[in-house]
Amino acid sequence: MFRFRKAVISLALLALAGVATAQSAAKISGLGRDATPKELAAWDIDVRPDFKGLPAGSGTVTQGQDIWEGKCASCHGFFGESGEVFSPIIGGVQPKDLESGHVANLTTPGYPGRTTFMKVATISTVWDFVNRAMPWNAPKTLKTDEVYAVLAFMLNIATIVPDDFTLNEKTIRDVQKRMPNRNGMMTDHALWPGKEFGGTKLPDTRNVACMKDCTPEPKLDSFLPDFARNAHGNLAEQNRLVGAQHGADTTQPELKSGEKACGPQAVRGGTCRWCRCGQAGCQKSSGLAAKKWLSGVPRYEQQNSWASLHRCS
Amino acid sequence: MEQSLSSGRLIKAPENFLNKDGIKAVFSEAKNGRRDFIRRAFAAAATGAAVPVALAQGNPVPTEGGDPNILNLPAHSVGLGQGVAQNDGYGKPSQYESGVQRRQSPGLTQTTQASVSFAPLQSLFGIVTPSGLHFERHHQGWWDIDPSKHRLMINGMVKAAKVFTLDEIMRLPAVSRFHFIECGANTAVEWGNVAVPTVQYTHGMVSCSEFTGVPLITLLELAGADLKNGKFVLAEGADGSSMTRTIPMSLIKSGEVFVAYGQNGEMLRPEQGYPLRLIVPGIQGVSWVKYLRRIEMGDMPYAAKDEAIHYMDLLPSGQHRQYSGIQECKSVVTTPSGGQVLLDKGFYNITGLAWSGKGKIKKVDVSVDGGRNWRSTRLQGPVMSKALTRFNIDWVWDGKPAIIQSRATDETGFVQPNYKQLRAVRGTRSIYHNNAIQSWLVQENGEVKNVQVS
Repeated sequence: MFRFRKAVISLALLALAGVATAQSAAKISGLGRDATPKELAAWDIDVRPDFKGLPAGSGTVTQGQDIWEGKCASCHGFFGESGEVFSPIIGGVQPKDLESGHVANLTTPGYPGRTTFMKVATISTVWDFVNRAMPWNAPKTLKTDEVYAVLAFMLNIATIVPDDFTLNEKTIRDVQKRMPNRNGMMTDHALWPGKEFGGTKLPDTRNVACMKDCTPEPKLDSFLPDFARNAHGNLAEQNRLVGAQHGADTTQPELKSGEKACGPQAVRGGTCRWCRCGQAGCQKSSGLAAKKWLSGVPRYEQQNSWASLHRCS
Repeated sequence: MEQSLSSGRLIKAPENFLNKDGIKAVFSEAKNGRRDFIRRAFAAAATGAAVPVALAQGNPVPTEGGDPNILNLPAHSVGLGQGVAQNDGYGKPSQYESGVQRRQSPGLTQTTQASVSFAPLQSLFGIVTPSGLHFERHHQGWWDIDPSKHRLMINGMVKAAKVFTLDEIMRLPAVSRFHFIECGANTAVEWGNVAVPTVQYTHGMVSCSEFTGVPLITLLELAGADLKNGKFVLAEGADGSSMTRTIPMSLIKSGEVFVAYGQNGEMLRPEQGYPLRLIVPGIQGVSWVKYLRRIEMGDMPYAAKDEAIHYMDLLPSGQHRQYSGIQECKSVVTTPSGGQVLLDKGFYNITGLAWSGKGKIKKVDVSVDGGRNWRSTRLQGPVMSKALTRFNIDWVWDGKPAIIQSRATDETGFVQPNYKQLRAVRGTRSIYHNNAIQSWLVQENGEVKNVQVS
């Protein structure tokens, strides 16, 4: 992997043929200056799972509830249960999960949602995120003690800490030992480049590029229901004016096999919404109408739109 | 009509072509036999351009012996055109391209600031995504940051923490490289079943640009980073979310990760992190931190919110795969694709995009019978590592139902999986990293539908 960078550098050197001395990154000078302690304090705010970076402070469940109701509940619900704006934070955790460190509901396909506390293994993550990005419309405005307090409240309604709990830079380590999904992560997969996590390079799917008679006759498993036809707006408007294909007008039902365009008589008759040929009140298109339709010349002599051809009012 | 349907000839659908008043006028004029008026009305509808139409331009020779578009010289052939440097000096797409937009998927998110807009893959050519159509994913809204006030800090396990201005970063040796960026949640809604109609919504969270910037390793070396003991790097954004992600050291040491200010020949667009974003080739978009303000060298992973609460892959066992970043080999046919209508039977160029987070695309095969039989496609050059690759293949549609699929193989030999294989190992609730083979059903009436097959 390191070779790649060297190759890039030597390519650059080739381009600079005639330059006698190699310019490595180390020779670049005068660019960038040392950061000051004040600058580092202002920006270096991340908190790691081992709590490196966590500032000292404290907050109680009660204090947290006040902040929550003022700054958090409008989006997340009074108990962190709301899914109206964001994914719910609280819910789905059972007492036994605190013992096992695995949230049992994650194995229940029918369980309706996956809340933050069902998933997160590291309490540092929650502290770090609330501190850097909350509240939603005023991120980084909570004081350190307020972050502790909000976390204490969340942990309380998540049934991880009691009502009289005070969260601080020390007790947060005890909380980590009770995080309901603390044992729920695995990193030995093929989706991280490098060896840091002890993963594998072997992908978990192993398709082969078969070319002929690979499968039996395909069966349609899933497709959009008719009522969703226009759920993403009129697809005709989401395609270019010209092209090998045009967009389908999804404001209209599509013509189904066995269903044919009906003539203007049916429109006038008004006895059916959707005409099926042979159905009482509907008639097949006349030969004349069809001819005009397909000839590509103006088709508006008789009908005001394609829709009226096959839809009865 | 019957005959034409069974032969697969397509119904021309001029709905919405004219507004109500237009139709009325057309009618009355038509009754008076004024065909030329009708033609003008069509032209007016097209120049109005608000509503593109599903209207086939069957190309018959009209009875008058020639196409009026040829016989009657149009205004642009007989008049004086417009002058230079209009639109405030920045060119815009034709008014007729107004339907080619990035779009939200209705109901997917409840805010526009923590949301997604999808790139219109069905309308794009080649491999470069126009910067204004590049998909968007914001976590707490986007900003247009004054570049003269933006700073990049390098700290952590370094000899001396450093601060760089944009002026300084842009003086450093630069590279320009084409790379795809794909959101880890691209195609997420399709894990369990078909949920959305078009390729814009199924696959539109992938884009590809030529990015320009400085390899991160150069900046780390300038700060005297401890590359021996440093195992992980944190990247952090300057926006409200101050997005943080743990960046793989192997890709930094290889020189692949770079700090970009350029995109397709100009500066990054604000929606893409102007003035500075991290480029992490092959890794899901959330790691390409926008508005990049800080890089920290460390010795353990950071478990940031978007690697400890979201962007983790749930398995049927209830365990999550954490730090799952690589976008494995994937492809999709973009035309014909869902929501489109084939105008007639006969010849078509099936085309689409393939990509792999592990390197170059080696080959792409296409099936038109739902995966029973496959043909290899023509890969369009240049084929670049961790960039979109365009493929093309000829097809003559016989008017019968067809299921079109594409299947990519990358240079590691990995073959894009089908849904059955993917679900067998990951279930249907992983959300992220769905790289399954996509199926488009071409119906006899020419309409193309998003389907899943087994």
